[in-house]
Amino acid sequence: MSRVNTVLGPIATEELGFVAVHEHIGYGMPGCELDTRWWKTPEERYEETVPKLRAFHDNARPYGGATFVEATGICNGRDVDYYKSLSAKTGVHIVACTGFVGGDTALAFFARADVDYLTRQFVHEITVGIGDTGVRAGIIKVGVSRGFRMTDLDQRIYRAAARAAVETGVPIFTHLAVDAEPAIEIFGEEGLPLHRVLFGHVDDGVSQGRVRDTEIADRGGRLGFDTFGYDLELPDPPFWGRPRRERLEHFLRFIRGGYLDRVLASADANCSPLGWPGVKGHTVNYLFEDLIPDLRDAGVDDAAITTIFVDNPASFLTIQN
Amino acid sequence: MNTVLGPVPADRLGVVAVHEALLSVLPGAEHAFDIAIDRAEIFETLAAKLRDFRAQGGGTIVDSAGMYHGRDVPLYEALSRATGVHVVASTGMGPEPLLGGYFLTPQTNPPTPWPAERFADLFAREVTEGMVVPRVERRGPAGLVATAATREGMTGTEESLFRGAARAGLATGVAVSIRFGADPVGDLEIVLDEGLPAGRVVVGGLDRREAVAAGAPLEIARRGAFVALDHVGLDDDDHIGDEERAALVVELVAAGLGDRVLLSGNAIGVAKGHPGRELPYGHVLSDFAPRLHALGLADADVRRILVDNPRELLCRA
Repeated sequence: MSRVNTVLGPIATEELGFVAVHEHIGYGMPGCELDTRWWKTPEERYEETVPKLRAFHDNARPYGGATFVEATGICNGRDVDYYKSLSAKTGVHIVACTGFVGGDTALAFFARADVDYLTRQFVHEITVGIGDTGVRAGIIKVGVSRGFRMTDLDQRIYRAAARAAVETGVPIFTHLAVDAEPAIEIFGEEGLPLHRVLFGHVDDGVSQGRVRDTEIADRGGRLGFDTFGYDLELPDPPFWGRPRRERLEHFLRFIRGGYLDRVLASADANCSPLGWPGVKGHTVNYLFEDLIPDLRDAGVDDAAITTIFVDNPASFLTIQN
Repeated sequence: MNTVLGPVPADRLGVVAVHEALLSVLPGAEHAFDIAIDRAEIFETLAAKLRDFRAQGGGTIVDSAGMYHGRDVPLYEALSRATGVHVVASTGMGPEPLLGGYFLTPQTNPPTPWPAERFADLFAREVTEGMVVPRVERRGPAGLVATAATREGMTGTEESLFRGAARAGLATGVAVSIRFGADPVGDLEIVLDEGLPAGRVVVGGLDRREAVAAGAPLEIARRGAFVALDHVGLDDDDHIGDEERAALVVELVAAGLGDRVLLSGNAIGVAKGHPGRELPYGHVLSDFAPRLHALGLADADVRRILVDNPRELLCRA
């Protein structure tokens, strides 16, 4: 049986439908919860979040279900009970992750932990549940700390994630695809096939020139063009922004170049950011409102669009037994 | 004097333990799959320890762990009400490895760690507007700004923390607690450089062997800061034992510096995610004070150390 863990329990892969594979209900760096400048009431949080998820659900209707993969790791404001209520009220499938966005978002307790402990943490969250929520994680988040080089802690987390992925069958997605060599080596040593890894943010502005995207794909890895919408044309773009046309052309090169089955796309938007201002107007629905029309204009047919948003994520997210 | 239940007249504090911890959670441990955090059980454990402290003559516990090490203000309020022990909670953070990424690698390019001014503002608001219950509310005012440097020596970010703590102390009148890294006098000079009077600072960990060997307790007391011999009950590779500690107190008093000495245990009521330090909060009263008497210290001197000195420190300037 092919299944995926969502916050409301496992579902059949066939129910996923349209998948936004790298998104956030709300993300913040550890410690931002101490700074009242970012606080919002729960009323405000729901008010900012529910309409975006409802629109996502409605936009996805032609594809069947709507699935939102939540990429907020441990210590970054991951709030599984909140995700459960959002999923139950909007009909959007939400997949929660275990793991860390990067070593620099792992607090002291985990920074001191060894690979074995981190592995057990991830496996527990995948097979038993996250905290006392009863929710099982459906994917493992790992990432490269600021500075474009994997730190020792980053590498411990990657190795623990690889072991947990081998043991449980859930996939891994990464924050940043830079400095992929040590990552590929670790996955190889741990016996994890690279098609179980989505190398994320290959498309962001600051990573350009540092990502060996073709090589990752040729070795079997999946590529995440997953910061769509962080366009430098915005009034106040974030530092990882990129010219809209340039990002699209980057994506098209891979779609047309024989890598259609290797690519996934997402917006990495925050429904309601936790510790930063966010980018006004940028939501997961960019995928429907801007990206898919751009792809169609560029001659990408509906079958290819379905491959990118339905078939590729389904095969990626399905728990391997 | 700011307690978690609001201002209390300084003459009601009684015997004060200035460097202790109630609930101490290593940052991140609250997410660990194998650590249970049972609030009712934590409350019962802490309440029993606070009642024991009170029974031994204790009046006030200062939780000097800062704002990001398990501090739970509503829990401390309930404990204070239930036990009659005054509880002073602290703001501040440190050392650097215990900070969150929000302060160390913010979402800016490049990810420059927070400067002193931002720490000052964060800490000062915890005094003027109240201590945070993250993303929920502010409660009562912090009564101390506590920070610490790493043992290998103060990092750049820790200098920002120390300067920020000093500015918050200056702006609000609450005292500043520093746990030095490798250089007690040098670390003190950082906060004094901000214009904070030495009498508003307590330097913790001055019963560490290397500090004692370097003569730091006397030097720091002479500069006017409070000297915390705050590992009472501990005798290990890092710290002198109680016998030497008592002799050091006598030496300080004999040098005319008895009004600069503070005693505490750095006991941890409940530890999560780290080994903790099991010691009755009343250990100074039950075990250490008799040693001081035995060495011939006058009652008035002992009382000054246990009551008057911490009162002076904790009274808002």
